[in-house]
Amino acid sequence: MSGLTIGEILNFLAAPFVASLILTGIHSYLGVHVVERGVIFVDLSLAQIAALGATIAILLPFSSGDPHAPSVYWVSLLFTFIGAAIFSMIRGKRARIPQEAIIGISYAVASAAAILAMSKSTSESEHLKDMLVGNIIAVSWPEVGETAALYAAVGIFHYIFRKQFLSISMNHDRVEAAGLNVKWWDFLFYASFGFVVTSSVAIAGVLLVFCYLIVPSVAAMLYADTIGKRLAIGWTMGTVVSALGVYLSLVLDLPTGATIVCTFGLALVLMAIVRVLIPRTNGRQTQSLGFSGSEM
Amino acid sequence: MVMKKLLQATAAAIALLGGTEAFAAIKVMTTTQDLASIVAEVGGDKVAVESIAKGYQDPHFVEAKPSFIIKLHTADLLVVVGRDLEIGWLPPLITQSRNPKIQPGGPGYFDASQTVKILDMPAGQITRAMGDVHPSGNPHYWLDPGNGRRIAQALQAKLTALSQGDAAYFAHRYADFDRRLAEGQKRWNAAMAPYKGAKIVTYHRSWTNFADAFSLEVIGYVEPKPGIPPSPRHTLELEQEMKRQNVKILLVDPYFDMKTPKAIGRDTGAKVLMMPPSVGGVPEAGNYIALFDYDINLLVSTMKQMGTQ
Repeated sequence: MSGLTIGEILNFLAAPFVASLILTGIHSYLGVHVVERGVIFVDLSLAQIAALGATIAILLPFSSGDPHAPSVYWVSLLFTFIGAAIFSMIRGKRARIPQEAIIGISYAVASAAAILAMSKSTSESEHLKDMLVGNIIAVSWPEVGETAALYAAVGIFHYIFRKQFLSISMNHDRVEAAGLNVKWWDFLFYASFGFVVTSSVAIAGVLLVFCYLIVPSVAAMLYADTIGKRLAIGWTMGTVVSALGVYLSLVLDLPTGATIVCTFGLALVLMAIVRVLIPRTNGRQTQSLGFSGSEM
Repeated sequence: MVMKKLLQATAAAIALLGGTEAFAAIKVMTTTQDLASIVAEVGGDKVAVESIAKGYQDPHFVEAKPSFIIKLHTADLLVVVGRDLEIGWLPPLITQSRNPKIQPGGPGYFDASQTVKILDMPAGQITRAMGDVHPSGNPHYWLDPGNGRRIAQALQAKLTALSQGDAAYFAHRYADFDRRLAEGQKRWNAAMAPYKGAKIVTYHRSWTNFADAFSLEVIGYVEPKPGIPPSPRHTLELEQEMKRQNVKILLVDPYFDMKTPKAIGRDTGAKVLMMPPSVGGVPEAGNYIALFDYDINLLVSTMKQMGTQ
């Protein structure tokens, strides 16, 4: 292709590939929580709330219209935390309204509010949406480095408090009965989650982030019950699909993000078919991958 | 000695197969097919030119593919429309190409808007009271044939700077393009003469330079602001204005949603015309001059049919 050696071409795809591995790492883990809690669309909703914050910040005079100004980042983070606070407040023990409904409403209202904000802007807002949403093929090494450091910090935070986070995700009512301040821990969960999602959307786009979050976790549920096994399967799947997706996007010359998303879909279908074909009795054993993390 | 001769013969044979020629050509990437067409007119076979966006795509939004970055990496020259048209997708591609030549300000970065006639430029300080403004002017300037000539002229100088030996060749190619473009302008102006001052409405602010070049008057836009869907009040006001001023033509670029324009057409009796704003937008508009031939022909035949004065 264009007289470049394979090595040079791979060199261009190295940063997107490493970025996709970082996304796999944190999102497969957070996805287990999200799927367990049944708040599938919370990432879309938080990402949209963050985008609304960024849009408003860009339109305010202090950012001077630059989408990459620090003030824009902080305002969008503030909005994310407000969203996290809302989501942690709405889950009551006897709540009659499903949490997913509030999440959906927040998504729709935040999206529409961003359109209203743009329609009131004096400067050209045509490209605002694109400038807020990243494209994984165009990710740079400094961005990869920053993201890795940020996510490592979030990962350590979640590892230290894994007992609280996991027990709330797996069995909310019992933990609340045991006297843990669930609302506070939920806020910390959604805040750290929103923090990760906002940064991920900025480098990889909404669709891809949603896939990294949900698909590995759902695929793992087909084969395993314990958190450790699910994580192992999710991480393996995410890594293989990322590599395959980046490769396919190169040889077929297709948009990289969308190619990875579709590869995720295909991989999930294949794994589901294999799951049906494998007899149930020895299915558990063949898929355990020798990873025993049930104590995590 | 024999060995050396054999090697020389092999090298000559490879050169004859076209290897050397392709190697010597200036590799040019453009963001749109309009610019690619003008580069090809001036550069001839001394350039190998390719466009990132295709003519039927909206140049505001382009989905990045791996091949774009790889092609930008090896390019000698990148020609962009500028005026923020590609701001949503091009800057990260340029950075990631890791090609120092084509970085903004580099010797291989060419902003085609630098020498052309730009419309919709805000005068003086931009304030909130001015409403919707394009801070750097309207980026759809290539739809004025005069601007096509200005781009070609600037490109002739740029290509000459990159390949001094071909100066006469580029000058000759430019003169030929200039002559054919002038003939085209005579043709188009004659066809449009009966419709001088005709009032039109466009979807996006993409036909401002076209209207300026052919003495049409754009009295309104379907989108109140670029990228923002029309509000009911805006649409109603536009329809009233169109009826009052007897506007018969509504121009829409192929990639915009036809629902609102069609509703406006039904309400006002105006003809909704899908007109390609770029080379490659339809197969007939294969190059810069053919684009105007196609668009003018389409517009004139519609106006004739509608009885526009």
